[in-house]
Amino acid sequence: MADVVNVGVNLDAFSHAISGIQALRSSVSRVFESLKDGMKNRETLEGREKQFIAEFQDNLQAVNRDLNELERLSGLVGRPSESHPLHNSGLLSLDPVQDKTPLYSQLLQAYKWSNKLQYHAGLASSLLNQQSLKRSANQMGASAKRRPKVQPSTLVLPPQYVDDVISRIGRMFPDMTIELFRPNGTSAVLLVTLGKVLKAIVVMRSLFIDRTIVRGFNENVYSEDGKLDIWTKSQYQVFQKVTDHATTALLHYQLPQMPDVVVRSFMTWLRSYIKLFQSPCQRCGRFLQDGLPPTWRDFRTLEAFHDTCRM
Amino acid sequence: MGVTCVCQVPVAEGKSVQQTVDTMHKKLEQLGAVKQGSFWVDCETYHPTGNVSGQPSKLLYLMHNSETPLSCIALFEGGPCLIADTNFDVLMVKLKSHFQNAKAHKVECRGSRYRYCDFLIKVGTVTMSSSARGISVEVEYCPCVVPGDCWNLTKEFMQSFLGPSVPELPSVFAAKPEGLFAPSDCVDTMTQYLELFNKLRKMQMPGSNVR
Repeated sequence: MADVVNVGVNLDAFSHAISGIQALRSSVSRVFESLKDGMKNRETLEGREKQFIAEFQDNLQAVNRDLNELERLSGLVGRPSESHPLHNSGLLSLDPVQDKTPLYSQLLQAYKWSNKLQYHAGLASSLLNQQSLKRSANQMGASAKRRPKVQPSTLVLPPQYVDDVISRIGRMFPDMTIELFRPNGTSAVLLVTLGKVLKAIVVMRSLFIDRTIVRGFNENVYSEDGKLDIWTKSQYQVFQKVTDHATTALLHYQLPQMPDVVVRSFMTWLRSYIKLFQSPCQRCGRFLQDGLPPTWRDFRTLEAFHDTCRM
Repeated sequence: MGVTCVCQVPVAEGKSVQQTVDTMHKKLEQLGAVKQGSFWVDCETYHPTGNVSGQPSKLLYLMHNSETPLSCIALFEGGPCLIADTNFDVLMVKLKSHFQNAKAHKVECRGSRYRYCDFLIKVGTVTMSSSARGISVEVEYCPCVVPGDCWNLTKEFMQSFLGPSVPELPSVFAAKPEGLFAPSDCVDTMTQYLELFNKLRKMQMPGSNVR
């Protein structure tokens, strides 16, 4: 990594400069050695002093020479390139201990991963926006000005129309009775009784099915205050499973422009449960799997399967 | 209240009643059933006194079930039945002059209660005067109320732990005016128990008549 950064450095001049430093060090240490040794033995005092001073002057001149040489060489060495192409993260790459703190490599990986994620998310959102699967009136991301104006017209239907559609569907099937209640405002709550097998409570929002809960024929559908109990789960495992399947069905049958077709399809699917306890599974041929009868009804063919046997 | 089927399990060859019951418990636990306490069913017989004609009068049976501890059921075999609360026992004491209690004919069935998914299984020992007469098994499929719908399902379940000794559809369901598709209730269960008790009583005492 360091090689990449220091491209502007002249490696030859660098090694000369290092030997220049060594020469300077040795001449400086010679000065201090001669001072330590002191005056040498001569016949007269004047002779000794002159000798000492001349030696001292020689040594200092050598130091001066070496220092000038070093200054000249350092000018040739050059500076490392000013512009870091990697800015601050490049400084992180200078860490010599790569094994214990692999920060730089992890940083690169995280960056590549987040780039890919952004790209794929962009592709996915453009594909998903092609088909609107919205069941609500709110538009995500739309400005506050636009939101009140854009609303699917099928969400606001007169209650009389809803009553008519429901009663027409109720007459279609002789073994299924549908009662309509409006306990909370304009949303309809249907109590569907299927033969002597089950009772289903379907909570609607104009003509869209919002939620459903299925209980046994002998279970209580009313809560203590006499209203329809739309929250308590069934006490039997088989009907808890059927509730889950019914929720899957109401998410499967979707046509935002023709909600009455959707309700009709859902009721046709629900009616196939009249033989919940009588039909064996179409795949394994048995009646029971883990103590449960075939609770799954195929959305197209209405055949009975165990939950674990369905394809 | 679901569809119930009461049947008798023959005692295994060379084993005692208790051992057969333990084998059944093990099979149920292997299947994945969870024990949920115990149950009891008992039946007392009353002879109506003061019968003018020489015809044998019908016996009145008074039965109790731990599933409905606050009720008791009085029925004639094949005849009308009455569901009352437990004060009816005291009433029968007051009616001593009209109905005599045959204390020696009291039959009891006690045992453990198991739950498997939506099934309720009760394996009990039938005793009369503290001697074990046989083993009863009651299987109830709680979510369904119509016997005709779930008979095949119940039979498949019973085969998984009873093996070869799976019974036929109880006659009490077929004998109803609307047939198999009338909803069942607790009277059907008690009628089946009564049939079983009478069968076990007659088995050990072949010489006695029903007076």
